[in-house]
Amino acid sequence: MSAEVIRPQGAATAPRLGEEILRATAITKRFPGVLALDDVSFDLKRGEVHALCGENGAGKSTLMKVITGLYGLDEGEIVYKGEKRAFGSIQEAQAVGITIIHQELNLVPHLTVAENIYLGREPKKGWFVDRKKMEADAQVFLDRLKVGIRANELVLNLTVARQQMVEIAKALSLDAEVLIMDEPTSSLTEAEIDRLFEIIHELKAHGVGIVYISHRLDELRRIVDRVTVMRDGRWVSTRDLAAITVDDIVAAMVGRSLDEKFPERTSTPTEEVIFQVADLSRTGKFRNVSFDLRRGEILGFAGLMGAGRTEVARAVFGADPKTGGTVVLEGRELSIASPIDAIRSGIAYLSEDRKLNGLAVKMSVKDNITMANMEAVSSRFGFIDHPLERRVAKKYVDLLNVKTPSVVQIAKNLSGGNQQKVVIGKWLFRDSRVLFFDEPTRGIDVGAKFAIYQLLDELARDGIGVILITSELPEILGMTDRVVVFHEGEVTGILETRQTTQEEIMQYASGVRHMFR
Amino acid sequence: MAITEAGVPERKYNIDKRDLIQKFAALAGLLLLVVAFSMTSSAFMTVSNGVTIALQTTSIAFLGLGATCVIITGGIDLSVGSVLALAGVVAGLATKAGVPVSISMIAGILTGGVCGWVNGIVITRMKLPPFIATLGMMMVARGLALQITGARAVSGLGDDFGILGNGSFMRIVEEGANGFPKVVFPGVSYAVILMAVLAIVCAIVLAKTTFGRHLYAIGSNEEAARLSGVHVDRTKIGAYVLSGLLAGLSGCVLMSRLVTAQPNEGVAYELDAIASAVIGGTSLVGGVGTISGTVIGAFIIGILRNGLNMNGVSSFIQMIIIGLVIIGTVWIDQLRNRR
Repeated sequence: MSAEVIRPQGAATAPRLGEEILRATAITKRFPGVLALDDVSFDLKRGEVHALCGENGAGKSTLMKVITGLYGLDEGEIVYKGEKRAFGSIQEAQAVGITIIHQELNLVPHLTVAENIYLGREPKKGWFVDRKKMEADAQVFLDRLKVGIRANELVLNLTVARQQMVEIAKALSLDAEVLIMDEPTSSLTEAEIDRLFEIIHELKAHGVGIVYISHRLDELRRIVDRVTVMRDGRWVSTRDLAAITVDDIVAAMVGRSLDEKFPERTSTPTEEVIFQVADLSRTGKFRNVSFDLRRGEILGFAGLMGAGRTEVARAVFGADPKTGGTVVLEGRELSIASPIDAIRSGIAYLSEDRKLNGLAVKMSVKDNITMANMEAVSSRFGFIDHPLERRVAKKYVDLLNVKTPSVVQIAKNLSGGNQQKVVIGKWLFRDSRVLFFDEPTRGIDVGAKFAIYQLLDELARDGIGVILITSELPEILGMTDRVVVFHEGEVTGILETRQTTQEEIMQYASGVRHMFR
Repeated sequence: MAITEAGVPERKYNIDKRDLIQKFAALAGLLLLVVAFSMTSSAFMTVSNGVTIALQTTSIAFLGLGATCVIITGGIDLSVGSVLALAGVVAGLATKAGVPVSISMIAGILTGGVCGWVNGIVITRMKLPPFIATLGMMMVARGLALQITGARAVSGLGDDFGILGNGSFMRIVEEGANGFPKVVFPGVSYAVILMAVLAIVCAIVLAKTTFGRHLYAIGSNEEAARLSGVHVDRTKIGAYVLSGLLAGLSGCVLMSRLVTAQPNEGVAYELDAIASAVIGGTSLVGGVGTISGTVIGAFIIGILRNGLNMNGVSSFIQMIIIGLVIIGTVWIDQLRNRR
């Protein structure tokens, strides 16, 4: 890579704007038990910004990972510059001009900006890295972004936004002809977004094709030419942005009918408020979050990824610190500094990522069920009453219909749905008064989902407060009584589920509408 | 629900078989060693050699018990070899100063406990990685032991100091025809009895108490344990205190055997302790491990040393062999888990 080639487009190939550069046809990708992409097609022209929209889990990122060779594809074909290609790795794709900037940044914090930009392709002088040339070259690309980042700064000293800029500089240095940006603006300030959009326009003019994945529908208008909407791993529509409205996109994103089966709700919300959160804040994560929960009610938390729903639940539960706000359970104000306090008060949190935070996978079903309430199955001196423990575990395994050969089965060997039931069993055994369910049905099969929905309903009927955090709007509509909608750390709306629509929720979730402003 | 019912494969028998293989693999290895050494050396399979092996294995086993508890939480304790020395010289110096032997030894053991507590505090409150915290303690404790003794062995401790390490239960001595005493049965040394008792106690603690359960929970998934209301810090500190106490005891037994307090004793013993736990199936990632496995592991190391000695294998070659055994066992374990 030399400093002279600062244009993303080599001088040799004159840009022919509007010519097709990339086409993916009938792509199908399976993961064990999941059809992640089902017959999806996508194309990109030189000098075009093509937005890819869809709810969480719609398959946008998966599609891009298949195109760039991070995942292999099961069916379909990819044609790049008129040639059929199947990249074996991101490096292969990069070498021919396809570069992806991931949502989670892939920089090495303890290296300098220049070292990151040239990682794995450092300019050499003999056996050694030519540091001077590397920094000078990197600086050229950084200067184009006009954000004042120095090439010899350590990446760990940069804000996330500036790190994003380094990623973009790296993409420029790679001489990209196709640039894929996954949620590039999620951590940028307004000014930085403006600068990014200028750069995007510049790149367009040079004939670079850009795939732009974003949840921020309001900003599409400023840069995007065409929009493809995906849903549940399928292609829904590809339209010129000029011909449609944001509402059309939202409708296409959520457009599925409620084909998933939900059990009939048997609990009815009363007027009695059992749980109240007021003005809860955590600097940098969420601010002034207030909501209440009535007896018999299932309250939904809706919002896009990173909107702060999980963070709010974790702060209420004492798993993360909070900077302000009050939590009142059944008329009593709680002071919660740790999960231990929350559990004692009767609040439970079923984490979003079972394997990471919820389940001790190397331990048995029985050990997991009793983990939060060991006192109940042991003597005062801490000796576990094994027969009692087994009976307790058996009781919850039967109650929740956990499919396991025995209670001493290692949790790792259960299916996702059954693992989730084990975690639920843990909190039922603890006699929790309020349960936060964070994405309880993620990654589990339809039958097990139905069982979990039934369980939520039963809990609500028994007077236990149920808060359902989910990214699946049908789940919100099918299961909740009211829904709290989050957008970038704020509650933008609290809606009666019966009187709302997916479109309306999506408008609040994407910040297009705000009830309290 | 028919979908899930059909979807869950029956895996129970598969798992049980694997566990069984693991349990018996170590034990079978141990027996194989015994058989092999019996054939190569006639002096190996004797009562007195058996007693010797058991006595020699006690220090590895004491440390191994503590190491198992710590490693189950996903931690490591590198300080035990030095803590052992510090505890031993504290007991020796106290005895020398006229304190009754039993009280001196309790002081030594408690010194070990304090070192473990400091480890625990540094790891949980100062949030240092266990490797670093206990590496620091390894140097601090060794330095203290050398400093307070002036790097000299403390000797002339009196016969009482030697009872714990050299005394035996049910030792039968007859007067031989030539007038010299003849040992009919060497007895079971106190240290070996102590080892057996403590191994059983540790096994019960791990399997039957909430503290033990919490050790496994932390090692299996610390965040899940924390979110389930487990006192993670308290439990971890407990594991390091236990490791320190056992190191202290090990120091007292060792110095008692020598009837001398040696500040240079126990160098690199922490590695034997970790090795015994690992050979016994304890996972360095945490969440997995048993006392029975560690005891078997300790005996594998003890018998290897003893048997190789008897066969005239140099101590350098012994190191090579034990090193290869550690690599081999863990490799087999990895293969087993990869399936």
